[in-house]
Amino acid sequence: MNRAETADLAAHAFLRGMPADHVALLSATAAPVSLPAGHRLFEEGGRAANCWLLTAGQVALDLPVPGRANLIVETLGSGDVIGFSWLSPPHQWQFGAQALGPASAFELDGPAVQALCDAHPELGYQLAMRMLAAAVRRLQATRIRLLDLYAPPGGRGDAE
Amino acid sequence: MTLQTLPARYRIAWRAAETHDTVTLALEPVDQPIGTHLPGQFTMLYAFGIGEVPISISGLAGRCLVQTIRSVGAVTRALCEADPGQLVGVRGPFGTHWGVADAAGRELVIVAGGIGLAPLRGALLAALAARERYRRIVVLIGARSPHELVFAEEVAAWRAAGADVLVTVDRASAGWTGHVGVVTQLIDRAGIDPGAALALICGPEVMMRLTARELCAHGVAPGNIRLSLERNMRCGIAECGHCQLGPLLLCRDGPVVSYTQVAPLLTVREL
Repeated sequence: MNRAETADLAAHAFLRGMPADHVALLSATAAPVSLPAGHRLFEEGGRAANCWLLTAGQVALDLPVPGRANLIVETLGSGDVIGFSWLSPPHQWQFGAQALGPASAFELDGPAVQALCDAHPELGYQLAMRMLAAAVRRLQATRIRLLDLYAPPGGRGDAE
Repeated sequence: MTLQTLPARYRIAWRAAETHDTVTLALEPVDQPIGTHLPGQFTMLYAFGIGEVPISISGLAGRCLVQTIRSVGAVTRALCEADPGQLVGVRGPFGTHWGVADAAGRELVIVAGGIGLAPLRGALLAALAARERYRRIVVLIGARSPHELVFAEEVAAWRAAGADVLVTVDRASAGWTGHVGVVTQLIDRAGIDPGAALALICGPEVMMRLTARELCAHGVAPGNIRLSLERNMRCGIAECGHCQLGPLLLCRDGPVVSYTQVAPLLTVREL
Protein backbone atom coordinates (compact mmCIF):
# COMPACT_ATOMS: atom_id res chain seq x y z
CA MET A 1 0.00 0.00 0.00
CA ASN A 2 1.23 3.53 -0.80
CA ARG A 3 2.01 5.53 2.29
CA ALA A 4 0.25 8.83 2.83
CA GLU A 5 2.37 11.95 2.63
CA THR A 6 2.71 13.39 6.13
CA ALA A 7 1.82 16.90 4.97
CA ASP A 8 -1.36 15.68 3.24
CA LEU A 9 -2.41 13.74 6.30
CA ALA A 10 -1.69 16.68 8.62
CA ALA A 11 -4.01 18.86 6.52
CA HIS A 12 -7.01 16.62 7.17
CA ALA A 13 -9.53 18.25 9.50
CA PHE A 14 -9.50 15.25 11.83
CA LEU A 15 -5.76 15.54 12.47
CA ARG A 16 -5.41 19.31 12.28
CA GLY A 17 -3.22 20.58 15.12
CA MET A 18 -1.70 17.19 15.91
CA PRO A 19 2.07 17.37 16.58
CA ALA A 20 4.06 16.75 13.41
CA ASP A 21 5.97 13.79 14.85
CA HIS A 22 2.70 12.04 15.66
CA VAL A 23 1.35 12.63 12.15
CA ALA A 24 4.61 11.31 10.75
CA LEU A 25 4.18 8.12 12.77
CA LEU A 26 0.57 7.78 11.63
CA SER A 27 1.46 8.28 7.99
CA ALA A 28 3.20 4.90 8.05
CA THR A 29 -0.19 3.30 8.72
CA ALA A 30 -2.22 5.37 6.25
CA ALA A 31 -2.68 5.10 2.51
CA PRO A 32 -4.51 7.43 0.14
CA VAL A 33 -7.34 5.57 -1.57
CA SER A 34 -9.81 6.38 -4.31
CA LEU A 35 -13.34 5.16 -3.77
CA PRO A 36 -15.33 4.78 -6.98
CA ALA A 37 -19.04 5.57 -6.91
CA GLY A 38 -20.87 2.63 -5.36
CA HIS A 39 -17.75 1.18 -3.75
CA ARG A 40 -18.58 -0.51 -0.46
CA LEU A 41 -16.07 0.14 2.29
CA PHE A 42 -17.51 -2.41 4.68
CA GLU A 43 -20.61 -4.44 5.47
CA GLU A 44 -22.67 -4.86 8.63
CA GLY A 45 -21.30 -7.75 10.66
CA GLY A 46 -17.89 -7.72 8.98
CA ARG A 47 -14.64 -7.57 10.91
CA ALA A 48 -13.81 -3.95 11.70
CA ALA A 49 -10.10 -3.47 11.17
CA ASN A 50 -9.66 -0.11 9.46
CA CYS A 51 -10.91 3.43 9.46
CA TRP A 52 -10.99 6.15 6.84
CA LEU A 53 -10.43 9.89 6.88
CA LEU A 54 -12.57 11.17 4.04
CA THR A 55 -10.92 13.84 1.88
CA ALA A 56 -13.54 14.25 -0.87
CA GLY A 57 -16.96 13.00 -1.85
CA GLN A 58 -19.72 11.49 0.24
CA VAL A 59 -20.06 8.14 1.96
CA ALA A 60 -23.35 6.77 3.31
CA LEU A 61 -23.60 4.64 6.43
CA ASP A 62 -26.38 2.19 5.74
CA LEU A 63 -28.27 -0.80 6.98
CA PRO A 64 -29.69 -3.53 4.77
CA VAL A 65 -33.39 -4.29 5.20
CA PRO A 66 -34.66 -7.41 3.43
CA GLY A 67 -37.02 -6.56 0.61
CA ARG A 68 -36.13 -2.88 0.63
CA ALA A 69 -33.31 -0.67 -0.50
CA ASN A 70 -30.59 -0.13 2.12
CA LEU A 71 -31.65 2.41 4.74
CA ILE A 72 -29.22 5.32 4.86
CA VAL A 73 -28.47 6.16 8.48
CA GLU A 74 -26.21 9.16 7.85
CA THR A 75 -23.97 10.61 5.17
CA LEU A 76 -20.41 11.67 5.84
CA GLY A 77 -18.30 14.10 3.88
CA SER A 78 -14.85 15.57 3.50
CA GLY A 79 -13.19 16.05 6.88
CA ASP A 80 -15.16 13.26 8.55
CA VAL A 81 -13.80 10.05 10.04
CA ILE A 82 -15.50 6.84 8.96
CA GLY A 83 -15.45 3.88 11.32
CA PHE A 84 -15.43 3.65 15.10
CA SER A 85 -16.04 -0.08 15.49
CA TRP A 86 -12.38 -1.02 14.91
CA LEU A 87 -11.53 0.63 18.23
CA SER A 88 -13.35 -1.65 20.63
CA PRO A 89 -14.56 -5.25 20.92
CA PRO A 90 -16.22 -7.06 19.25
CA HIS A 91 -14.46 -5.23 16.37
CA GLN A 92 -17.44 -5.76 14.14
CA TRP A 93 -19.11 -3.23 11.84
CA GLN A 94 -22.59 -2.23 13.02
CA PHE A 95 -23.51 -0.61 9.69
CA GLY A 96 -22.35 -0.77 6.11
CA ALA A 97 -20.70 2.07 4.20
CA GLN A 98 -20.84 2.98 0.53
CA ALA A 99 -19.38 5.80 -1.56
CA LEU A 100 -22.30 7.74 -3.03
CA GLY A 101 -20.13 9.15 -5.80
CA PRO A 102 -16.42 9.25 -6.54
CA ALA A 103 -14.69 9.84 -3.23
CA SER A 104 -11.22 9.73 -1.74
CA ALA A 105 -9.85 9.08 1.71
CA PHE A 106 -6.88 8.06 3.79
CA GLU A 107 -7.33 4.47 4.88
CA LEU A 108 -5.77 3.72 8.25
CA ASP A 109 -4.68 0.20 9.18
CA GLY A 110 -6.42 -0.29 12.54
CA PRO A 111 -4.09 -2.91 14.13
CA ALA A 112 -1.05 -0.89 13.06
CA VAL A 113 -2.55 2.28 14.53
CA GLN A 114 -3.33 0.47 17.78
CA ALA A 115 0.23 -0.86 17.96
CA LEU A 116 1.50 2.69 17.43
CA CYS A 117 -0.75 3.97 20.20
CA ASP A 118 0.51 1.26 22.56
CA ALA A 119 4.09 2.22 21.79
CA HIS A 120 3.44 6.00 21.92
CA PRO A 121 0.80 6.69 24.60
CA GLU A 122 0.81 10.41 23.88
CA LEU A 123 -0.12 9.74 20.26
CA GLY A 124 -2.76 7.31 21.56
CA TYR A 125 -4.19 10.04 23.77
CA GLN A 126 -4.26 12.56 20.93
CA LEU A 127 -6.00 10.09 18.65
CA ALA A 128 -8.45 8.91 21.31
CA MET A 129 -9.48 12.50 22.08
CA ARG A 130 -10.09 13.16 18.40
CA MET A 131 -12.12 9.98 18.01
CA LEU A 132 -14.09 10.91 21.13
CA ALA A 133 -14.81 14.41 19.82
CA ALA A 134 -16.02 12.98 16.50
CA ALA A 135 -18.18 10.41 18.30
CA VAL A 136 -19.67 13.09 20.57
CA ARG A 137 -20.58 15.27 17.60
CA ARG A 138 -22.15 12.27 15.87
CA LEU A 139 -24.07 11.39 19.06
CA GLN A 140 -25.34 14.94 19.49
CA ALA A 141 -26.49 15.09 15.87
CA THR A 142 -28.28 11.77 16.32
CA ARG A 143 -30.03 13.04 19.42
CA ILE A 144 -31.22 16.13 17.56
CA ARG A 145 -32.64 13.92 14.83
CA LEU A 146 -34.45 11.88 17.48
CA LEU A 147 -36.33 15.04 18.46
CA ASP A 148 -38.03 14.94 15.04
CA LEU A 149 -38.05 18.73 14.99
CA TYR A 150 -39.87 19.07 11.68
CA ALA A 151 -42.77 16.82 12.66
CA PRO A 152 -46.28 18.31 12.51
CA PRO A 153 -46.77 20.33 15.70
CA GLY A 154 -49.31 18.18 17.54
CA GLY A 155 -51.99 20.32 19.08
CA ARG A 156 -50.34 23.61 18.13
CA GLY A 157 -53.17 24.36 15.73
CA ASP A 158 -55.51 24.60 18.69
CA ALA A 159 -53.92 27.94 19.45
CA GLU A 160 -55.03 29.42 16.14
CA MET B 1 -59.14 52.26 9.44
CA THR B 2 -55.94 51.26 7.68
CA LEU B 3 -54.88 48.00 6.11
CA GLN B 4 -52.98 47.38 9.34
CA THR B 5 -56.26 46.75 11.14
CA LEU B 6 -58.76 46.17 8.33
CA PRO B 7 -58.21 43.17 6.05
CA ALA B 8 -57.85 43.86 2.34
CA ARG B 9 -59.57 41.40 0.06
CA TYR B 10 -57.25 39.20 -1.99
CA ARG B 11 -58.23 36.49 -4.44
CA ILE B 12 -56.32 33.22 -4.64
CA ALA B 13 -54.76 33.34 -8.12
CA TRP B 14 -53.13 29.95 -7.89
CA ARG B 15 -52.36 27.24 -5.41
CA ALA B 16 -49.41 24.83 -5.37
CA ALA B 17 -49.13 21.85 -3.05
CA GLU B 18 -45.61 21.79 -1.59
CA THR B 19 -45.99 18.68 0.60
CA HIS B 20 -48.83 16.62 2.01
CA ASP B 21 -49.63 19.36 4.54
CA THR B 22 -48.13 22.52 3.07
CA VAL B 23 -49.50 24.73 0.31
CA THR B 24 -48.26 27.87 -1.42
CA LEU B 25 -50.89 30.43 -2.35
CA ALA B 26 -50.51 33.36 -4.74
CA LEU B 27 -52.82 36.15 -3.58
CA GLU B 28 -53.95 38.84 -5.99
CA PRO B 29 -55.32 42.12 -4.61
CA VAL B 30 -59.00 42.75 -5.30
CA ASP B 31 -59.07 46.26 -3.85
CA GLN B 32 -56.29 48.47 -2.52
CA PRO B 33 -53.25 46.19 -1.95
CA ILE B 34 -51.36 46.19 1.33
CA GLY B 35 -48.13 48.20 1.48
CA THR B 36 -44.80 47.11 0.03
CA HIS B 37 -43.19 44.39 2.08
CA LEU B 38 -39.57 43.48 2.75
CA PRO B 39 -38.35 39.86 2.94
CA GLY B 40 -38.94 38.44 6.39
CA GLN B 41 -42.12 40.36 7.14
CA PHE B 42 -45.47 38.67 7.62
CA THR B 43 -49.16 39.27 7.07
CA MET B 44 -52.24 38.27 9.01
CA LEU B 45 -54.22 36.03 6.67
CA TYR B 46 -57.95 35.84 7.31
CA ALA B 47 -60.00 32.82 6.31
CA PHE B 48 -63.38 34.53 6.33
CA GLY B 49 -65.63 33.28 9.10
CA ILE B 50 -62.93 31.09 10.61
CA GLY B 51 -60.05 33.21 11.83
CA GLU B 52 -56.73 34.91 11.25
CA VAL B 53 -53.17 33.55 11.34
CA PRO B 54 -49.73 35.12 10.87
CA ILE B 55 -48.06 33.87 7.69
CA SER B 56 -44.66 34.92 6.34
CA ILE B 57 -44.42 36.37 2.88
CA SER B 58 -42.36 34.07 0.65
CA GLY B 59 -42.08 36.49 -2.26
CA LEU B 60 -44.00 38.14 -5.05
CA ALA B 61 -45.29 36.72 -8.33
CA GLY B 62 -46.24 39.75 -10.40
CA ARG B 63 -48.85 41.58 -8.31
CA CYS B 64 -49.46 38.51 -6.18
CA LEU B 65 -48.24 37.93 -2.66
CA VAL B 66 -46.79 34.42 -2.37
CA GLN B 67 -47.43 32.83 1.01
CA THR B 68 -46.73 29.29 2.13
CA ILE B 69 -48.97 27.73 4.75
CA ARG B 70 -48.73 24.52 6.73
CA SER B 71 -52.00 22.99 7.82
CA VAL B 72 -51.77 22.75 11.61
CA GLY B 73 -55.20 23.92 12.78
CA ALA B 74 -58.62 25.18 11.79
CA VAL B 75 -57.54 28.43 10.09
CA THR B 76 -54.48 27.10 8.30
CA ARG B 77 -56.47 24.04 7.21
CA ALA B 78 -59.11 26.30 5.67
CA LEU B 79 -56.43 28.33 3.88
CA CYS B 80 -54.64 25.20 2.64
CA GLU B 81 -57.89 23.77 1.30
CA ALA B 82 -59.01 27.03 -0.35
CA ASP B 83 -59.36 26.92 -4.12
CA PRO B 84 -58.21 29.45 -6.73
CA GLY B 85 -60.78 32.22 -7.06
CA GLN B 86 -61.67 32.15 -3.37
CA LEU B 87 -61.27 35.36 -1.33
CA VAL B 88 -59.12 35.78 1.77
CA GLY B 89 -58.39 38.80 3.94
CA VAL B 90 -54.87 40.19 4.28
CA ARG B 91 -53.51 42.66 6.84
CA GLY B 92 -49.96 43.91 6.95
CA PRO B 93 -47.15 43.78 6.16
CA PHE B 94 -45.96 43.56 9.74
CA GLY B 95 -42.73 43.26 11.66
CA THR B 96 -39.03 43.46 11.03
CA HIS B 97 -37.24 42.14 7.95
CA TRP B 98 -34.08 40.16 7.25
CA GLY B 99 -31.99 43.17 6.18
CA VAL B 100 -30.49 41.19 3.30
CA ALA B 101 -28.60 44.23 2.00
CA ASP B 102 -26.45 44.16 5.14
CA ALA B 103 -24.71 41.12 3.62
CA ALA B 104 -23.48 43.13 0.60
CA GLY B 105 -19.81 42.35 0.02
CA ARG B 106 -20.02 39.46 2.47
CA GLU B 107 -21.20 35.86 2.60
CA LEU B 108 -24.93 35.50 2.97
CA VAL B 109 -25.61 32.24 4.81
CA ILE B 110 -29.22 31.09 4.85
CA VAL B 111 -30.13 28.16 7.09
CA ALA B 112 -33.65 26.79 6.86
CA GLY B 113 -35.39 23.95 8.65
CA GLY B 114 -38.67 22.53 7.35
CA ILE B 115 -41.20 25.20 6.44
CA GLY B 116 -38.70 27.75 7.78
CA LEU B 117 -37.55 28.05 4.19
CA ALA B 118 -40.73 29.99 3.39
CA PRO B 119 -39.80 33.23 5.22
CA LEU B 120 -36.25 32.94 3.84
CA ARG B 121 -37.23 32.41 0.21
CA GLY B 122 -37.90 36.11 -0.31
CA ALA B 123 -34.48 37.00 1.13
CA LEU B 124 -32.79 34.46 -1.11
CA LEU B 125 -34.58 35.67 -4.23
CA ALA B 126 -33.70 39.28 -3.39
CA ALA B 127 -30.04 38.33 -2.99
CA LEU B 128 -29.97 36.27 -6.18
CA ALA B 129 -31.51 39.19 -8.09
CA ALA B 130 -28.39 41.18 -7.18
CA ARG B 131 -25.97 38.26 -7.05
CA GLU B 132 -22.93 40.42 -7.83
CA ARG B 133 -23.34 42.29 -4.54
CA TYR B 134 -22.59 39.23 -2.46
CA ARG B 135 -19.28 37.45 -2.20
CA ARG B 136 -21.09 34.16 -1.74
CA ILE B 137 -24.62 32.96 -1.11
CA VAL B 138 -24.87 29.72 0.86
CA VAL B 139 -28.19 28.00 1.47
CA LEU B 140 -28.40 25.11 3.93
CA ILE B 141 -31.73 23.32 4.05
CA GLY B 142 -32.88 20.63 6.47
CA ALA B 143 -36.09 18.67 6.14
CA ARG B 144 -37.68 15.66 7.75
CA SER B 145 -37.65 13.63 4.53
CA PRO B 146 -37.23 14.24 0.79
CA HIS B 147 -41.04 14.35 0.44
CA GLU B 148 -41.28 17.14 3.00
CA LEU B 149 -38.95 19.59 1.28
CA VAL B 150 -40.71 22.83 0.38
CA PHE B 151 -39.78 24.67 -2.85
CA ALA B 152 -37.92 21.53 -3.91
CA GLU B 153 -38.48 22.35 -7.58
CA GLU B 154 -36.75 25.72 -7.20
CA VAL B 155 -33.46 24.41 -5.83
CA ALA B 156 -31.92 23.82 -9.26
CA ALA B 157 -32.77 27.38 -10.32
CA TRP B 158 -31.21 28.79 -7.15
CA ARG B 159 -28.02 26.85 -7.86
CA ALA B 160 -28.02 28.05 -11.47
CA ALA B 161 -28.40 31.63 -10.24
CA GLY B 162 -25.26 31.35 -8.13
CA ALA B 163 -26.22 29.97 -4.73
CA ASP B 164 -24.38 27.07 -3.08
CA VAL B 165 -27.29 24.96 -1.91
CA LEU B 166 -26.87 21.94 0.38
CA VAL B 167 -29.88 19.91 1.39
CA THR B 168 -30.07 17.31 4.12
CA VAL B 169 -32.89 15.14 5.42
CA ASP B 170 -33.40 13.40 8.74
CA ARG B 171 -34.78 10.29 7.06
CA ALA B 172 -33.80 9.29 3.56
CA SER B 173 -36.13 7.45 1.24
CA ALA B 174 -35.29 5.27 -1.73
CA GLY B 175 -33.62 7.23 -4.48
CA TRP B 176 -32.39 10.05 -2.25
CA THR B 177 -28.76 10.80 -3.07
CA GLY B 178 -28.25 13.91 -0.95
CA HIS B 179 -27.08 14.34 2.61
CA VAL B 180 -28.65 12.51 5.54
CA GLY B 181 -28.20 14.17 8.92
CA VAL B 182 -29.11 17.35 10.76
CA VAL B 183 -28.82 20.76 9.15
CA THR B 184 -26.17 21.88 11.64
CA GLN B 185 -23.79 19.29 10.15
CA LEU B 186 -23.98 21.10 6.81
CA ILE B 187 -22.18 24.08 8.35
CA ASP B 188 -18.99 21.99 8.34
CA ARG B 189 -19.51 21.04 4.70
CA ALA B 190 -20.33 24.53 3.47
CA GLY B 191 -16.89 25.95 4.22
CA ILE B 192 -18.18 29.37 5.18
CA ASP B 193 -15.89 32.27 6.05
CA PRO B 194 -17.04 33.04 9.61
CA GLY B 195 -15.57 36.52 9.62
CA ALA B 196 -17.52 37.49 6.52
CA ALA B 197 -20.79 35.70 7.16
CA LEU B 198 -24.20 37.15 7.85
CA ALA B 199 -26.44 34.23 8.77
CA LEU B 200 -30.22 34.18 8.53
CA ILE B 201 -31.93 31.24 10.23
CA CYS B 202 -35.53 30.09 10.26
CA GLY B 203 -37.07 26.83 11.41
CA PRO B 204 -38.26 25.21 14.60
CA GLU B 205 -36.97 27.21 17.55
CA VAL B 206 -34.75 24.42 18.88
CA MET B 207 -33.21 24.02 15.42
CA MET B 208 -32.51 27.77 15.28
CA ARG B 209 -30.92 27.74 18.71
CA LEU B 210 -28.66 24.80 17.85
CA THR B 211 -27.77 26.27 14.47
CA ALA B 212 -26.89 29.63 15.98
CA ARG B 213 -24.73 27.87 18.57
CA GLU B 214 -22.97 25.85 15.86
CA LEU B 215 -22.34 28.98 13.78
CA CYS B 216 -20.85 30.68 16.84
CA ALA B 217 -18.65 27.60 17.40
CA HIS B 218 -17.42 28.08 13.83
CA GLY B 219 -16.49 31.68 14.61
CA VAL B 220 -19.52 33.63 13.38
CA ALA B 221 -20.19 36.56 15.73
CA PRO B 222 -23.61 36.39 17.45
CA GLY B 223 -24.33 39.87 16.11
CA ASN B 224 -24.08 38.47 12.59
CA ILE B 225 -26.78 35.88 13.18
CA ARG B 226 -30.47 36.68 12.73
CA LEU B 227 -33.43 34.45 13.54
CA SER B 228 -37.11 34.60 12.70
CA LEU B 229 -39.16 33.92 15.81
CA GLU B 230 -42.81 33.05 16.04
CA ARG B 231 -45.22 33.51 18.87
CA ASN B 232 -48.97 33.88 18.96
CA MET B 233 -49.26 36.98 16.77
CA ARG B 234 -52.80 38.38 16.82
CA CYS B 235 -53.13 42.14 16.31
CA GLY B 236 -49.91 42.67 14.35
CA ILE B 237 -49.52 46.19 15.72
CA ALA B 238 -48.10 45.57 19.19
CA GLU B 239 -51.33 46.33 21.01
CA CYS B 240 -52.63 43.01 22.30
CA GLY B 241 -49.48 41.51 23.82
CA HIS B 242 -50.16 37.94 22.70
CA CYS B 243 -46.77 37.67 21.01
CA GLN B 244 -44.70 38.89 23.94
CA LEU B 245 -41.28 37.32 24.42
CA GLY B 246 -39.71 38.95 27.46
CA PRO B 247 -39.22 42.60 26.57
CA LEU B 248 -40.18 42.03 22.92
CA LEU B 249 -43.50 42.11 21.14
CA LEU B 250 -42.60 39.93 18.19
CA CYS B 251 -45.22 41.29 15.80
CA ARG B 252 -43.41 44.63 16.01
CA ASP B 253 -39.90 43.88 17.31
CA GLY B 254 -39.71 40.64 15.32
CA PRO B 255 -40.17 38.26 13.70
CA VAL B 256 -36.57 38.86 12.59
CA VAL B 257 -34.33 39.46 15.60
CA SER B 258 -30.63 39.43 16.28
CA TYR B 259 -29.29 36.35 18.04
CA THR B 260 -27.46 38.71 20.41
CA GLN B 261 -30.79 40.17 21.42
CA VAL B 262 -32.68 36.92 21.98
CA ALA B 263 -30.08 34.28 22.92
CA PRO B 264 -30.70 34.75 26.67
CA LEU B 265 -34.46 34.50 26.14
CA LEU B 266 -34.50 31.26 24.16
CA THR B 267 -33.74 29.00 27.09
CA VAL B 268 -36.03 30.63 29.65
CA ARG B 269 -38.77 28.23 30.62
CA GLU B 270 -42.32 29.61 30.48
CA LEU B 271 -41.25 32.83 28.76
